[in-house]
Amino acid sequence: MKAATFNWLILMALTALSFGVAEAGVPGGAALVPVLLATLFKGRIVIDHFMALQGVGGAWRWVVLGWLLLVLGLIGYAFQYAQT
Amino acid sequence: MWCFILAELLVFGVFFLAYAFARTHDVELFNASQLELDRTSGFINTMLLISGSYFVVLAVDRIRHGHSRACTRWLIAAMACGAAFLVLKLVEFSGKIEAGISMSTNTFYMFYLGLGFFHFMHVVLGMVILGAVTLKAWRGGYRASDYAGVETGAAYWHMVDLVWIVLFPLIYLLN
Amino acid sequence: MKYQSQLVAKPYFIAAIGLFLGQILFGLIMGLQYVVGDFLFPEIPFNVARMVHTNLLIVWLLFGFMGAAYYLIPEEAERELHSPKLAMAMFWIFLAAGVATILGYLLVPYATLAEWTGNDLLATMGREFLEQPLPTKVGIVVVALAMLYNLSMTVLRGRKTAINLVMLVGLWGLAIFFLFSFYNPNNLVKDKYFWWWVVHLWVEGVWELIMGAMLAFVLIKVTGVDREVIEKWLYVIIAMALITGLIGTGHHYYWIGAPEYWQWWGSVFSALEPIPFFMMTVFAFSMVNRRRREHPNKAAVLWALGTGVMAFLGAGVWGFLHTLAPVNYFTHGSQITAAHGHLAFYGAYVMVVITMISYTMPLMRGRAANSPLAQTVEMWSFWLMTVSMMFITLFLTAAGILQIWLQRISDQPMSFMAAQDQVALFYWMREYAGLVFLSGLLLYISSFFIKGKAATAD
Repeated sequence: MKAATFNWLILMALTALSFGVAEAGVPGGAALVPVLLATLFKGRIVIDHFMALQGVGGAWRWVVLGWLLLVLGLIGYAFQYAQT
Repeated sequence: MWCFILAELLVFGVFFLAYAFARTHDVELFNASQLELDRTSGFINTMLLISGSYFVVLAVDRIRHGHSRACTRWLIAAMACGAAFLVLKLVEFSGKIEAGISMSTNTFYMFYLGLGFFHFMHVVLGMVILGAVTLKAWRGGYRASDYAGVETGAAYWHMVDLVWIVLFPLIYLLN
Repeated sequence: MKYQSQLVAKPYFIAAIGLFLGQILFGLIMGLQYVVGDFLFPEIPFNVARMVHTNLLIVWLLFGFMGAAYYLIPEEAERELHSPKLAMAMFWIFLAAGVATILGYLLVPYATLAEWTGNDLLATMGREFLEQPLPTKVGIVVVALAMLYNLSMTVLRGRKTAINLVMLVGLWGLAIFFLFSFYNPNNLVKDKYFWWWVVHLWVEGVWELIMGAMLAFVLIKVTGVDREVIEKWLYVIIAMALITGLIGTGHHYYWIGAPEYWQWWGSVFSALEPIPFFMMTVFAFSMVNRRRREHPNKAAVLWALGTGVMAFLGAGVWGFLHTLAPVNYFTHGSQITAAHGHLAFYGAYVMVVITMISYTMPLMRGRAANSPLAQTVEMWSFWLMTVSMMFITLFLTAAGILQIWLQRISDQPMSFMAAQDQVALFYWMREYAGLVFLSGLLLYISSFFIKGKAATAD
């Protein structure tokens, strides 16, 4: 269960980092990619380790991971598009 | 249950994208309204849900080794995180409502209140599911050879967490 | 058939089919009035024909649901019906009220009917689909409550299965939501709310429970697949149907004066409404593929599969077609709506009732299945009705697209009637398809009178 504790600490750290970026007033354009990447990483930890989908056979893991990638990708696209 | 979880993810996914693309039509309004949110409260809530998820992982691990008592304790800890989340969320919402803000104020607040409330109801449902699992675990209803119920409840709780992990940066942080 | 009291379903089904024939005849009259405006005027004006067409649909479907419930609930509960006499009494009351109401529509001007039936005491008349005079509405409530009492007592003292619980919840919901039809507020927005809480919460809410239970019941019987498997499917389907259907009510709030956020909530949730219907299709086919016996009643299996497919097309695909707010902005209240209405009602509710009739009628007449010839005729009627309804839908969709273009999008928008003239060709084709549908229905009715040796499993 050390792994779970480690994952938990990473999740908290990434959240704090994203929050800090926003609090520090980093402009939206510069913050977009780091924050989305942190979110992607957090989502992957929850899916693979907490939901324990890593190593599970079949399509489940890829469907859920695909959901995360698609949603974050399109969010990134929409925010990028809004800046231009 | 997994069918259900996928359906839920689909609904939230559609709403997230609706938010992102609706925002492109009125970036200024979204950015200005977003600044009125209590970002710290959202941050603490994220920490709470993440910790709740972590406790549920520990609970599943305990029951896997046949420790009903320890499993029950971790489940209760997870539910405490959920309850704290709900309280904070209520404080946040009541602040907005007192300020005269409603779903009709503007498109941003429609999403903030609508999605927030929708997710809120999912936390409530997740607590109900965890509560039922906790009760059964407390009575010693699960054992090392049979704990599918705990895993199912855990999966739903993680889904609620996963959705919030996307929702928090999307609505509170990114501008 | 295991219990004698299940036989009360028979008159309900016979009445249902009789009223179905009436509905189709008035549909044809009205279809002709679309292109020959003064056909049968002043005896049967268009608005009266329309009211009879839609009211007959609702009444005969209710007969079908009630018959299905009286058949299915004793069998699932494993005991006789609490009171077969009460069920028969309610049948005659409902039939008398239904026929009297239709005759009232046809023989008396609507305003006079309203005057005679106490509409000034409690104004409930005049709203689409809920045009029934006050005594009829009260009668529906009485009949529904007596039925619910009868069925609930049967289930309470008998075996409780997922199927009879879902069926019972569906029927209770049907009765409860109908109560909204007694409230007719002056505020137009509120009026629309209460109206939709009957109409929408019926067809996209509780009726789906009834439909799911009926389909699951027949599938267990004809495929022999384990009850656990079928019940799991049923639960997932109805959970999805209820969630999407309830919040999906928002797709009726777009332009009635409700807050704007409903355009988002209504769009998103009703966009998901096809999912439970799609699951129903997959459900029907996978159960039939995993069948553990060859049921001699092939026609019932065909109807069950057909329900899965046509419900998905009519309710799912044609519903999605115009459910998103930006699309509905143009398509609202056009022939697209009519196309969706026709295919959805036929594919979901008409076909599930016929599935049930097809499976139970031979049993109630003392055989496992009809003779091979009767089944062949019934299957022909399936294809005639289903294909012609598909064509009616396609012609109406074409008419709708053209109508929207001419009347709402083009640079020089036409008036409503001018646009109607332009799409007359499609109305004619729709009327011909309607005649094919009628021939299919007549063939279906004739299949009940074909004698011969009962088919056996091969």
